[in-house]
Amino acid sequence: MPLPDYIKKQYKKTRTLHGNWYLMNYKYKFNLSRTKVFLKGLKDGVCLGLKCRSCNTVSFPPRLICGRCLVMPDQWVRLPETGTIATGSATYEADDKNRERPLPVIAVRQDGADTIWLHNMPKDIDFHSVYIGMPVKAVWAKERTGSWFDIDYYDALEDPAVELNKKEQEK
Amino acid sequence: MAHKVQPAIISCGFCEHASKRSDVNMAELVNEAVEDCITKANIDWKDIDAVVNGNMPAFEGANMPELWMGDHMASKNKPLLRVTTGGTTGGSVTIAGYYSVASGLYDMVLCIGFEQQSCGDTTVGLASVALGEFSIFSDLGYTIERMRSNMGSGAAIGVASYQAMNYMRRSRATEEDLARVVVQNRRNAAKNWWTHLKMPTITIEDVLDTPYISFPLRFGMVCPASDGACAMLITTEEKAKQIADIPVYINGVASYSNESAIIGIDCAGAGQTDPCEQLGAMKSAEVAYGQAGISFPNKEIDYAEVYSPFPNQELMWVERIGLFEENQAPEAYRNGVTALNGELPVNCSGGVNSTNAIGASAMERPAEAALQIMGKAGNQVPKTVHTALGHGWGGSINLITHVVMSDEPQRKWR
Repeated sequence: MPLPDYIKKQYKKTRTLHGNWYLMNYKYKFNLSRTKVFLKGLKDGVCLGLKCRSCNTVSFPPRLICGRCLVMPDQWVRLPETGTIATGSATYEADDKNRERPLPVIAVRQDGADTIWLHNMPKDIDFHSVYIGMPVKAVWAKERTGSWFDIDYYDALEDPAVELNKKEQEK
Repeated sequence: MAHKVQPAIISCGFCEHASKRSDVNMAELVNEAVEDCITKANIDWKDIDAVVNGNMPAFEGANMPELWMGDHMASKNKPLLRVTTGGTTGGSVTIAGYYSVASGLYDMVLCIGFEQQSCGDTTVGLASVALGEFSIFSDLGYTIERMRSNMGSGAAIGVASYQAMNYMRRSRATEEDLARVVVQNRRNAAKNWWTHLKMPTITIEDVLDTPYISFPLRFGMVCPASDGACAMLITTEEKAKQIADIPVYINGVASYSNESAIIGIDCAGAGQTDPCEQLGAMKSAEVAYGQAGISFPNKEIDYAEVYSPFPNQELMWVERIGLFEENQAPEAYRNGVTALNGELPVNCSGGVNSTNAIGASAMERPAEAALQIMGKAGNQVPKTVHTALGHGWGGSINLITHVVMSDEPQRKWR
């Protein structure tokens, strides 16, 4: 259903010249060295977080500088594969032109970590059923290359808290 | 902070906003607003001492647009300053104008914010702006396609949908509450002469019938992309009393930034995990109220213009900047507190939800708030407005600006 049309005004057309500005022709340089340990860990199937020795904040993926105490965290800690959803939305993949398969995008807080990061859930999960606080578990990719997507997706875990919360609300 | 010189707004000018202003080029568009502003103030352009201008960089493919519109901005033989801070450009330009007058260097400063989005490709502009975020994603081995889909088409709606999700969880707001904000804004916009999306007959059902753009935000809830410009004259207290009937004194300004909840600033940051927490907005409002001597914003402020391209943000901002108690905004909108004849009218100009010319949007907020105090707004509230607030926001890690204004000069402490 379209919205009711808004009040439009007709403006006189003047001459227009067309031009193009390709951003893809620019070459930006990124420093990859600082995430090397983390990415190697993912390749081996290990989730590594970086812990700040000053305030004990664990960042996953690692953050170069701790924003609270302004020191460089240097202690790697092993984290479990489970986590909880901190926020979420839904999107479509670039090849999905007809917008038929919405893909849930979630920000996961890995158990034991204090920061969140974006990842996906599989397409067969309805994005309406995703909620904040939902427990999830990382599923590893078959061929791991040393990137964030060595974790293929996050899969939903059973959550007994949902039933309890429903009962609580019904009261 | 007491001023030596008390800056005051004497006039605000707009041009007509539309999705494609095909009849004018960028310079002529700016000139429409400047001429409107100068004519309403009833002064000569030679009286202006300095010009501050700004727009979002690279959104219309022109990186130094002020180079070819000097005459159109009445800036011949005058000092010209360009300020661009993304979405809050307008707010920052207003603050720069305020500083120029408060410092005592210039008596009358013309502030201009503009944007002609139909000229260029907004996505290209945004991609060049979001480079800092791209670098972090690339560090982790994201491909550009994956990045684009995961960032929610890489635009501001990606940020807003996360804020909406967390806000709705916190306050138990429903999609109907979000639609109600849209309906109020678009109906207000229909009564204002310069706005873009005028929909006098829109209903909540119409909004809820549209498809999702980025869950939980629907097509009908999203702001348009407009062409438009806004101009504002800031001058000293003495001059303002001679020129204007009701000068609007700027009593407090603040500009703070907030880190993005999800990625932080260049992969650093304190690690906030809630996108609707908005510590930057709270701090910015606190400082601006402190300068203006306002202790109870929910009682002392008569009118507020908040920067809300998406309806959930309007609910979020009015709570974070202290106009309502936490999680009480949806109920206030339901009860009509924020309507035109309500207790605390919000966004009676139609807001950013109805008109969004990026570089001008954050300036139209203080400009409309000032017009409400002067009694000259397009959609004037029936009650007398003494103190008003103009708020600006941009991007996920951008600045949050506040301009607090009143019909009385700042109370001199000490």
